Amino acid sequence: MNSVVILLLAVITALIGYYVYAKYVDEKIIQADPKKATPAVMYMDGVDFMPTSRHVLIGYQFKSIAALGPITGPIIAIQWGWLPALLWILFGVFFIGWVHDYSSAILSMRNEGQSFGALSYRLISPRARVTLLSFIYFYLILILAAFGDIVATMMAKISSVPFAILALMGTGALAGWMIYKKRSDILYTTFLMVALSLIGIYLGTVLKIPGSKTLWVLFALLFSYLGAVLPIWSYTQPINYISFYLVFLGMLGAALGILIGHPVASTPAFTTYTIGVGPLWPILFVTIACGAISGWHSLVSSSGTARQLQNETHNRYVTAGAMFLEMVLAALAIIIASATFKDFGAYAAEMKASGPAGVFAKGMSSLLAYLGIPGGFGTAFAGAIFVILAITVMQLVLRFARIATAELAGDAIPALRNMHLGALLAMAITYLLIATGTYGYIWTLFGGSNQLMASLALMMVTIWLASQKRNYHYALWPMVFMFLTTISALAWTAYRMYENIGKLQAGKLPPPAGQTVGMAVAGNGISILIALFLLVAALILVWDGFKAFGKAVWPTTSLGQGKTKEA
Amino acid sequence: MSVLLFWKGKKKEEPKAAEELAGKEGTAAKEGLGDAVKELVYGLAAHDMARYALKTRSSMEHLFILITMGDLLGVPILPPYYSLRLMPYVVPQISTWKRRMLREKDLTDALF
Repeated sequence: MNSVVILLLAVITALIGYYVYAKYVDEKIIQADPKKATPAVMYMDGVDFMPTSRHVLIGYQFKSIAALGPITGPIIAIQWGWLPALLWILFGVFFIGWVHDYSSAILSMRNEGQSFGALSYRLISPRARVTLLSFIYFYLILILAAFGDIVATMMAKISSVPFAILALMGTGALAGWMIYKKRSDILYTTFLMVALSLIGIYLGTVLKIPGSKTLWVLFALLFSYLGAVLPIWSYTQPINYISFYLVFLGMLGAALGILIGHPVASTPAFTTYTIGVGPLWPILFVTIACGAISGWHSLVSSSGTARQLQNETHNRYVTAGAMFLEMVLAALAIIIASATFKDFGAYAAEMKASGPAGVFAKGMSSLLAYLGIPGGFGTAFAGAIFVILAITVMQLVLRFARIATAELAGDAIPALRNMHLGALLAMAITYLLIATGTYGYIWTLFGGSNQLMASLALMMVTIWLASQKRNYHYALWPMVFMFLTTISALAWTAYRMYENIGKLQAGKLPPPAGQTVGMAVAGNGISILIALFLLVAALILVWDGFKAFGKAVWPTTSLGQGKTKEA
Repeated sequence: MSVLLFWKGKKKEEPKAAEELAGKEGTAAKEGLGDAVKELVYGLAAHDMARYALKTRSSMEHLFILITMGDLLGVPILPPYYSLRLMPYVVPQISTWKRRMLREKDLTDALF
C-alpha cells in the first residue's frame, strides 16, 4: 500500500472519530456544559489551577503524551505485518484511546480537579490508590530500562550520534542560562541554540565517538541523573525546550518526505501470528501502547490538563484532539518502518542489529533524502532525534522516580528521601534490568504496566458514569478488553520467561549478546517477579473495581452494601 | 502568567481577578488563526516550562507565608515590624495558599 494512503487513512479515521463519535459522547453522554464552572475557574490559584487557552492546552497535552512510545511500538509491531499494527492504531484510538484521555479529564473536572490518586481512593478502594502508585513506579523503572537500552544501542551502533547529544547538552544548558539568568530574548536564544544544535549534529558526522553499549548505558544514566538532581530550569527544561524544535523539524521533514516520495510499503501486510516476543493477541496490544491507548495519558489529562481547561466544551478539542494527532504520529512510524526498507528481510536485519532505533534512523533518513538531505547527515539527524526523544523523557522519568521512591519508601527508610540516594537507587535497578534483561520482554512489561494504568482509568470512568446514571458502555467495554488483554499479556510473558530460564540452563537457548547464562537467568527471574506483581495487583484491582461498580449499578444488592466509599 | 508574556515578548501586565482571567480576556483563547498557531506553538514548546516556573515560585511563597503567618495568628516569629511590612504581600495570597496547602496530594499530583 502507498504510504500516502496509510497517512490518509489515519487522517480520515481521526476526522470521523473527532467529529462523529467524540462529538456524540461529548454532547449526548457527558453533556459538556459551557456554562458550568470548571475547576480552573472555581479554584484558580495561579499555579495548578489556571484557566488557559484551548490552543495552548492542545499543544501542552500533545507534547506531554507524544514521545517515543507512539514511535517505538509500531516499529516493533511491524514484525507481525503492517496491517495488524495499523488496524490496532486506528481502531484502538477510535474506540479506546481518545475515550480514555477525554474521559479521564472530564472525570477530574467534574470532581473538583482531583488527581487520579485521590479519585482511585474515593471511587474504587483505598488499596486502588496504592496499586496505581505501584503501576506508576514500575512504569517509570521499566521506561527507564527500555529507553536506556534504546539510547545505548543507538549510540553504540551509529557513532555520529554521541557528539550530537553532547552538543545538545551544551546548547540546552546554555539556553537555560540565557533565558533564566541573562534574560535574553527567547526567540533569539531559541534560533541560536537550535542552529548550534544542528551544527553539532553535522559535526557529529565528522567527529565520531565510538563506544560500547555499556559505556552509553552509563552515559544515559548520568545524563538522566543530572536531569533528576539539578534545578529543573538549569538543565532538564531548556534541553527539552531546544529538543522540541529539533524533533519538530525532523517530523515535519519526514511527513514532507512521505508526501514527496510517497514510498510503497515493502514489508508484508501480515507475516505470522506468533513472532519472537509472542502471539499477535495479546502481545501486539501492549507492544503498541502510546500510539493506541496509554495509561500515562490519564495522569496528564487529570493532574495537568483538567485543572487548566476554562470551559468543559474545550475538553474534546484538547484531549481527544491530541490523541487523534498522536494516532497520525503512530501512522508515520508505521510508514517509516514498513515503506523505507527494500524488503522485510532488510527491516528484520536492521531490527536484529540495532533494534527499533536503527530502523527509525535508517527509515527516516530515507524519507529525508526525498528532500535532498544527504544520507550521512540524515542518519545522524534521525538517530539524534530518536535518542533525544528517549533521553529527554529519561531525565524527567528519573526525576519522577526519585520523588516516587521518597514517597513510597521514605517513611520506612528515611535515607531514601535524599534526592541523590533516591535517584541512584532507581538508576541501579534500571542498570540491572538493562544489563540482564531481554529488551523485547522489558518493552512488553512496560506496555503492560502502562495498559493496566489505562484499564484502571477506564474502570474509574465506568464507575463514575454508572454512579451518575449515565450510559457507561462506551467506557466499560474498552476497559474489559484492556484488562483481559493486558492480564493475558503479562501471564504469557511471565510463562515464556519461565520457559526461557529452563532453556538457558539446559543450554538450548543462547543468552543475549553481552550477557552470561547466569545474568540472563537473573534477568528473566527479575522480569517474572515484576510481571507477577503487576498481574496480582491487576486481579486485586478487578475485584475491588467489580465491587465498586456493583455498588454504583445495583445499590440495593449485597454488592451495593459493600465497604467501598460513596462515589 | 509572566512566563507566557515573556515568551511572547510582551510587557508584564497587572494581575487580573480570577473571574476576568477565566471568562473575558486574560488567557481566553483568541480566535484568529495566527493567534491560534502562536498559542499552539507556545503550548507545544514552553507551557510546561511556565507551569514549572509557577510551581517553583509557589513553593517559595509557601515558605514566605509560613514565616509571616505567625503574626496573623498572634504567634510572632519575625520581629513584628518586618511582618507588618510584609503583610500586604501575603494577605492577597492567603485564600489560594490555604487551598493548595489543604488539598490532599500524592505522587499523581507531582507529575504534571
